[in-house]
Amino acid sequence: MKHAIRALGWATAVFWILVILFSVTVVYSAMQIRMNRVEEEPEVTYSNGAITMSIPFSISNGGLYDISELNITTHVVAENETVSRTTTQVPTISRGDTANETYDISVSLDHILANLTYMLFIDTDLEVEISVALTYAHAIPLKISHNETLQWGAPFYNLSINIPPVSPQPANASVSFENHAFFGLNGTIGLQIMDSSGELIGSGTTDRFYVPPRAPSTSLQVTIIGDLGDMAEVHLYFYTSVFSFGPVVMSFD
Amino acid sequence: MFLRRILPKVLKATVMGFLWFFLLYALPKLLLSELVEEVLPGFTQMLSTFAIVIVTVAVISELLAGTIFHYIFNIGKTLVLMAFFIDALNGGFIAFDLETIHIEADLRVFLAMLLVIESVGLVKSLLKATDFLAKKTERQLAFLD
Repeated sequence: MKHAIRALGWATAVFWILVILFSVTVVYSAMQIRMNRVEEEPEVTYSNGAITMSIPFSISNGGLYDISELNITTHVVAENETVSRTTTQVPTISRGDTANETYDISVSLDHILANLTYMLFIDTDLEVEISVALTYAHAIPLKISHNETLQWGAPFYNLSINIPPVSPQPANASVSFENHAFFGLNGTIGLQIMDSSGELIGSGTTDRFYVPPRAPSTSLQVTIIGDLGDMAEVHLYFYTSVFSFGPVVMSFD
Repeated sequence: MFLRRILPKVLKATVMGFLWFFLLYALPKLLLSELVEEVLPGFTQMLSTFAIVIVTVAVISELLAGTIFHYIFNIGKTLVLMAFFIDALNGGFIAFDLETIHIEADLRVFLAMLLVIESVGLVKSLLKATDFLAKKTERQLAFLD
């Protein structure tokens, strides 16, 4: 009995030393992790109806333990509607290693066009939840999250159309807007003029244009062919390299 | 005679009381900055409550050395420590806010390690109690013979 008690006493002491060592080294190691933004401009790409912003970053694991199962998730919400949810997975970062990765934030324009059309024309606040999940030392799962409000810039902010009330043939109209978005616009805008009975009485298309990101007011000239005497509505069709959308109906009351 | 018997116990109990107070209250208070109280409100209150309970049990246990109650209080002390670890680590899931950053940590593995150590301590205390009772019975039997 005496030997068993002594053995248990030693076992307890050894376990305590191990746990204290583990705790101290985990705290020390966690303080040696550095996450840095790489001094490179984020790359913006378009594919399959989505805009993807790729942000390069690096994680330096200067601690004594590995970082595994690292996931970075961004959840973007506008007016309680999910705009995008993107997850970037980073392979295991062994102790002493530095991982250079690219973090992608993808915004589906198809989804915006289908459900959040107003975002094309009105600036709005986006609630962004960034969360980082990882397992440290293969034993301690951690989740760090942060909420932020970002401004969404509408690509066709303050859209207006000006058609001379008494038009000669053909009529010179103008379409103006401000591109507040973080991406450039490249394409054309088509106009269809309707009378009060919904009949097409005139149409025209702008020349191909390019409006850079966050550009001030842009005015595009359109030559409209048709008799505009009884015009009631204008239907606008947007054809850009990023998305196509229409009609946007504007009434003349 | 009574003083000679009780004085070492009182001295040992005082030393053990100070030791437990230092380990459970003074040292954590020294290591954990004021930030901990901001991050985990109520932690210091919980720490002091458990420290009072443990120190009291440890002192009583030492005063009752040489009796079965010494071992019973030791077992009680281990159980209270286990409860403290479970409560302090919120069952292994800790969540707190640092300014605008929310942090969640799953410390179940760490908690399991602490509970395993305390379980070994509990088994040790039970064995000591059994040993004490066995020896006492042996002495009584020898006295009857």
